[in-house]
This record gives sequence, C-alpha cells and structure tokens, in this order.
Amino acid sequence: MKKIEAIIRPHLLDAVRAALQEVDVRGMTISEVQGYGRQRGHTETYRGAEYQIEFVPKIKIEVIIPDDIEDFVVNAILRSAHTGKFGDGKIFVIPIEDVIRIRTEERGEAAI
Amino acid sequence: MIRNQFESAGLRVPSMWSATSSMRPCIAWPQYSIMLVLLLFTLLPTVAAQEPQRDPAGTATGDKQQAVDAGGNSFVVAEPTDKTAPDYAARKKAYDEYQAQAAREPLATKLADSVGHLRIGTNFSWTLLTGYLVLFMQAGFALLTCGLVRKKNTAHLMMLNFAAYVFAFLAYYAIGYAFQFGAVAINAAPVSLGGTPTLNKFLIGSGGWGFLGGKGFFLTGPGYDAGSLCLTLFEVVFMETAGYIIVGAICERITFWAFLLCELFVAGILYPIFGCWVWGGGWLSQLGSTMNLAHGYVDFAGSSVVHAVGGFCAMALAVILGPRLGKYGPDGKPRPFPAHNLAFVVTGTFILLFGWMGFNPGSTLAATDLRISVIAVNTNLAAVAGAATAMVFWYFRFGKPDITMACNGMLAGLVAITASCAFVSPTSSVIIGAIAGILVCVGVLFNERVIKVDDPCGAIAVHGYCGWFGAICVGIFADGTYGSGWNGVGTTAYLGNAGHGVTGLIHGDVRQFLCQLIGATLCVVWAFGATYGVFWTVNRVRSMRVSPEVELEGLDVPQFGLPGYAEDMISAEA
Repeated sequence: MKKIEAIIRPHLLDAVRAALQEVDVRGMTISEVQGYGRQRGHTETYRGAEYQIEFVPKIKIEVIIPDDIEDFVVNAILRSAHTGKFGDGKIFVIPIEDVIRIRTEERGEAAI
Repeated sequence: MIRNQFESAGLRVPSMWSATSSMRPCIAWPQYSIMLVLLLFTLLPTVAAQEPQRDPAGTATGDKQQAVDAGGNSFVVAEPTDKTAPDYAARKKAYDEYQAQAAREPLATKLADSVGHLRIGTNFSWTLLTGYLVLFMQAGFALLTCGLVRKKNTAHLMMLNFAAYVFAFLAYYAIGYAFQFGAVAINAAPVSLGGTPTLNKFLIGSGGWGFLGGKGFFLTGPGYDAGSLCLTLFEVVFMETAGYIIVGAICERITFWAFLLCELFVAGILYPIFGCWVWGGGWLSQLGSTMNLAHGYVDFAGSSVVHAVGGFCAMALAVILGPRLGKYGPDGKPRPFPAHNLAFVVTGTFILLFGWMGFNPGSTLAATDLRISVIAVNTNLAAVAGAATAMVFWYFRFGKPDITMACNGMLAGLVAITASCAFVSPTSSVIIGAIAGILVCVGVLFNERVIKVDDPCGAIAVHGYCGWFGAICVGIFADGTYGSGWNGVGTTAYLGNAGHGVTGLIHGDVRQFLCQLIGATLCVVWAFGATYGVFWTVNRVRSMRVSPEVELEGLDVPQFGLPGYAEDMISAEA
C-alpha cells in the first residue's frame, strides 16, 4: 500500500478529485496549507510598508491506494494539476505499513 | 377679518395692519405706547437683575421673538437704545409703529408667537435628528478601526470604541459641557434653539475674552433646560467623535485603565476648553470684535475643534506609547500589519460618510437655515474628491490602489471640508477634498517612514493633519456668500457690502486667513502639548502600555477574557 501526498493549486482541487475518481480512488483527505518552493512568495505594499508574502496558499491531498494502481494515480494527478507554470506543486509517494478501519477492525487493503 | 389677520402674520405686516385698523374702534395708540415704554422702564432693572429663567418643559421656548423671515428680519421690532446713533429717529419711528400695530392686532402677535415656537420646534427636530446621525458614526469608527488591526486585537478594539462612548459621555455630562458652553449665551447664543439664556457665565475671563464656561455642571440648574439640552445632545456626539479618533492611533498596545483615563481627559478637559474658545463664545471666536481679525476664528463644524484636537491628542499619546512590537525591524524599516477585515473597513467608512451628513449640515443647528443643502453637497463632494486622489496617488506611487488608503482619503476629504463646508462653493469643496486626499497619503508615509510614530489606523494623518488644513481652508476659499454677522462681525456690512459673509484669502480677506492660521496652529499646540504633558506624567508613574507578552499574544484574552473570533466550544457530552 502507498500513500500519495500531493500539494496542488487550490483552484484545481475539483479537477484532481474528478481525475482520481476515474482511476477508482475511493476516499481522500485534503487540508488547506501554506508554503513555498522554488516559486517563492511575492512582494506587496500595505500603507506604504513593503512586505513579502512568503507562504502561498495551497491544498494538500492525501490518498491511500493499493500498490498496483500507483502509476495510474500519479498520472491522474500529473494530468489534472498541471499548468506548466511555477507553483504547480509536488507529489510524494510514501509506503504504508498497515491500514485499519475503525468501525470493523478490518486490516490491510480490505480497509482502504 | 380673521383671514386678513392670518395673512398679516405672513410678514406683510404694515400695509395689512393699516388696512384693518380702520375697522376697529379707534384707540389713541400713542398713549398705549407711552404706557408700554413706561412699564418697560420700570420692569427693566428688575429683569436685568434677575437670572434668566430655565425652561425644562419646553413650553416657554420659542415665541414671536423667534418669528423671522428668510432674510433673518425679525417680526418684532426692537427698541433702539443708542440715542446718538444716526438712524435713531427712523428706528424709533419703526419701533413706535410696531408697538401701535401690535396693540391694535393682538391676534397677529399671538400668531407670531406660534410661528416662532414652530420655528424653534423645526430647528429642534433638525438638530436632534442630525445628532442621531453623528451618534451612528460610533458604529462606523468601531468597524473601521477594528477592520484595520490584526484579528488578535478585535475584542480590544471593540471594547475601546464602546467604552469611549460610555465614559466620555459621563465626563462631558459632569464638567465638559459646562466648560464648553457654560457661557455660550454671552457671545454665541444659539438663537435657532431659543438662545439658551441661562448659560451666561465665564468661569475664567469675561466679555470678548472668555476662556472657560462656568454654568450647567452635571446638566442641573441652568443646564436643565429644553434648549440647552437640545444643544447638549448635538454637542456630546461631537465630543465623542474626538474621543474615538484617539483609538485609531493608540490601539493594540494601550492598557484599558490608561485608555479610560485618556477618554475622561479628552471629554472633560481637552476638548471642551478649545471648544469653548471657538464655539462657546470664547476669545478665539471673538478675535474679530476684539482684535479686528476679520470674523474671528471660524470653524463651522469642527475640522479643528473636533478633528485636529482628536488627531493631535492621538499623536501625543502614540509618541508616549511608542510603536507596536515588531513594527520597525532592526534596520528601522517599517513592517506592515495588514488589515484583517476589509469589509469592516469599507462599511465603517461609508457609515462615517453617512454620519457626516449629520455632522456638517446639522451644525447650522437650524433647519430653517437653507444653506444646509449646499453644506450637504459640499461635504459629499470633498469626500469623493479625497477618496479619488488618494486612490490615484497610491496607484501611481505603488502600482496598486490600497483600499485602506482610499478609505482614509475619503475621511481626509470629509475632515478637511468640515470647517469650511458652509462658506465655500462646490468647486472649492472638490479642490479642498482633493488636496486632503494627497495630504493624508503623504502624512501616513511621513508618520511611518520619517518620524516613525506608529499609527495603526491613520488617525493622526486623517484627523490631525487634514483637520489643521481644513481650518486653514476657511481662510483661503470662503467666498463671502454665507455667514454675514458671524461671531458678531459685519452684521450690517462687511468689506463694503451689506450681507457679506465670511471671506477667505482668494476672495480678498487676508485677515481671515491670518486668523485661521493662528487659531488652527494654536489648536495643534494645545491638543498635543496638553496631552503630552499630562500623559507623559501618567506614564512615568505607571506604564500605560501592556506587557510585551500580552501584546504578542493579542490583547483580547489577557485584557477582556474573550477572543474576538472565538471557536465554537467542543464538548464531550452531547
């Protein structure tokens, strides 16, 4: 099992969700996050004082998937979250030891 | 017959009376008038020795004395007293004729009593209703200042605005009103509200050199009067405006007790004293009569009396408190603390604009003064001109128009037009507002970058700098169309013309400009100096500033036990 974490542009969330549904990802968790990468922030002025907006708002998606659909999922995100400009975000693939459904106590891929 | 008498009360008195008099039994009117005069002479000394009677019920305020036509000509002809005056004979004849006609047409005189009462009633309604509009500005200030700070200080800002109203009102009730208006009947009686004759004593000074009013403490005795209390309502909300202004410059770091002390000081001492000099018939307003300085110091609705006093008091307090933690980096470069709620900022600004429609036109204290329409339009024009120039200035200077500065620009235009709104043309209003819009931008940058006085909401630039500028503008742009006889100067003629009003530099009255320059600058010195002296001392005794830990956490919870935006409580039990 793998966990796919992706940082994406907030306005592309719906497109990414639709693309993931097509490749049979059944659940996802998202959070509103702020950060910067190579894109960096930008400079603004407020009442005459300059300041850097260091952290840019992003959405972080987390999905847990069986090993065999990893490539489909990564490709789906790549397709749907891509604009080609700085700030498109990143995808992280992380191995997962176990998954447990709290209601039934099922374990492993059956619990996904 | 009765119809004729009604028409005669419609200010075509002499001809109608002579027409109807022949129908009445002929009474020798000279005898009547002689008796009346004799009666008056015997009564006068006793009347003069007596204090004017207060009128708490309002049933004795407004009679034929207040029945006047559009030009301000009174229905009642006053008895000439100066026998050496060149027009004495003519005036005495007019007076005798009036007395005779009044004796022959008692119903017309009664009707004039009703007309006079109605006039006062109309002016009461106007003054009270515009006062309520000014009161609503409290909500505007609360939203504006709250929106401009960081959200960790929301409850702090709301509490300051709320407490300002409460405590300043009580201080003004106790001593402020008496200090400011306790002698108003001597030189500046508000005749449109019945003249408040009971407020007639200076505590310090006398005649044209009054420095402090001395009647009406706790609104009892002479202050417990319908006309006086109408004035109280209108003036207390003006004082409150000066009271809120300081919030904008001292917020996010002042302790609550110190703030309450500031409010009591502003409402009880700082504001009323300067207010007495200008509006209470005090020495600044009388400089025209005493020192031949044009119409004396003229501030129609308070660019200096309200706004510059508030703005420079705020500046002194901001200097004493010092900048907020982290406002200036180690290199001395200013850092921004962006506004947390622009919706509050814009809504608050529009509420202030709305309230200003009471602030300026209401300052006539008279709905029967039809200049109110000019004042209302002038006020609005200056507001939009100020907002426009501030917006455009920022657009060119920094590439993007800053909405908080655009709002400050609108308020700057309003503050600047407040002193001159009644005396200038719409064109001049646009010019005054436009200059104020630039002045506030330069002022904010100057405070932030050059003198490094931390002013979170721009109160010093908006109310202080633009208030001073606005008072000067009277001496520059006033066009002489309004204010004939202002402060008792030029009642018959001014600059060679009958009915000529307050006039500024570009319309040929240099003295008015000088007087405005002196008065407005004195206002700055008074507001800054007195505040600095008092609160420098207070701050030495006990620091007026919250601890650094409290300031960093935000003042909401440490000072008031509740954050401005509390999370919903999550409970274990359902």
